[in-house]
Amino acid sequence: MDRGLYVAMTGAKQIMQAQAVNNHNIANINTVGFRADAVSFVSQPIYGPGYATRVNAVASDAGTDFSSGVMQSTGRDLDIAVNGSGYIAVMGSDGTEAYTRAGDLRVSVDGAVTTAGGQPVLTESGPLNIPPATTVTVGNDGTISVVPLGLNPIGISPTDRIKLVNPPQRDLQKGSDGLLRLKDGRKAETDPTVTVTSGVLESSNVNAAQSLINMIELQRLYDFQVKSMNSSDQNEQMAEQMMSNAS
Amino acid sequence: MNLALWSAKTGLDAQNTQMAIISNNLANANTTGYKSQRAAFQDLMYQNVRQVGAQSTQNTQYSTGLTLGTGVRIVATEANYAQGSSTTTSNPLDLQISGRGFFQITLPDGSLAYTRDGSFTLDNQGNVVTASGYPIQPAITIPVGTQSVTVGNDGAVTAVSASGKTTQIGQVQLADFINEQGLQNIGNNLVIESAASGSPQTGTAGANGLGTIQQGSLETSNVNTVTELVNMIECQRAYEMNSKAITTTDQMLEYLTTNLS
Repeated sequence: MDRGLYVAMTGAKQIMQAQAVNNHNIANINTVGFRADAVSFVSQPIYGPGYATRVNAVASDAGTDFSSGVMQSTGRDLDIAVNGSGYIAVMGSDGTEAYTRAGDLRVSVDGAVTTAGGQPVLTESGPLNIPPATTVTVGNDGTISVVPLGLNPIGISPTDRIKLVNPPQRDLQKGSDGLLRLKDGRKAETDPTVTVTSGVLESSNVNAAQSLINMIELQRLYDFQVKSMNSSDQNEQMAEQMMSNAS
Repeated sequence: MNLALWSAKTGLDAQNTQMAIISNNLANANTTGYKSQRAAFQDLMYQNVRQVGAQSTQNTQYSTGLTLGTGVRIVATEANYAQGSSTTTSNPLDLQISGRGFFQITLPDGSLAYTRDGSFTLDNQGNVVTASGYPIQPAITIPVGTQSVTVGNDGAVTAVSASGKTTQIGQVQLADFINEQGLQNIGNNLVIESAASGSPQTGTAGANGLGTIQQGSLETSNVNTVTELVNMIECQRAYEMNSKAITTTDQMLEYLTTNLS
């Protein structure tokens, strides 16, 4: 049996998975604060008796693209975008601290400030809660000021501050819920230099042109693998024919 | 099933919903008191295909893992409760709330609904009703022979009778919610209370943070048509790209079946 067939088969399967990653990026081209996933192929030689002639290509995470998306002005007070690098701290559904760039915030009925996905936004000392208010303003450093219901604008008072962090990108990894966390499970330190702009949302950083080119490239690579599977098949057929002729 | 196909399919679905929301906003660009909606996209869960750091053999580990995202979904529609612009109509029963708050309306089943649309009219009994004929709460009835009706900034309704006598005949009350985004739209320019909105706090206009009432003007829709058109272009292109992703994945599979059969 020609084992080259299996190398090509592995290649085709892994390329299809890479295509899935690329399609996931394209599907999230309008997701606020989304960070594109990258995929790379690593070679994995197969060791065994005889020469190590076969090397499988295996698709692997190549991390996340941390470049900034485009800033879109929305005019809504509770839409915030992080300037430059940095993240908003939220509580993931598993209760751990996680980080996101999606700043489309809302106030729930009990006064908790959450993201659109319902994750509570964190301050240095826990989830952020605000009293019933006429207006809510988010300052550059994440300070939340509210005018409580029934008070004049003079009654504006800073209530708390959103925890903004800026850990090194190499320490961050995306969890299965799409939120970023530190690889070692620690909490990141508050970084006072991170600033936000209110009334603006950051778009997804998926590059449409690049994703399409990736898509075409992966398609062609896939074709190569299939072609090579086809060739293995033909070799096999040819060998079989010769053997049957010889007998 | 093929994840690449399904991932792209979720993208098509989400863009399709987004387009429906944009269309609804544009269709309501002239609806009094309409609040524009927008879709909140969120990435779907990630599948961990190969755990980073798992043992590749007894003595070695995978130095890299593989996680596959599974697409996108629209997790919520958010209403933008920013004040719409004001249009002057000079109609005495056109009321506008400037600031927070909602008019309270009694639905035919007796329950309460809320609206920012203050284009009131009279029914055959002289009751103040919405364009759909639902009475305002607390009910206000304009007596026969009334010469003019004045609604003050605080919602006090006074009428001048045929004899020239001025009397207060009612009071427009406003309701406010902690989380107005959580109100549920039921059509007819009405919203109703939900578990997410909290319970209504009623009060006099101008008091406790409630807005004031302006007679003779209406709040227009707060849909920004330029924004919607730009969103529409973006949505269309994203739809095309997702559709292209499906075609490409399909071609890959087709190539496989035609060449290996």
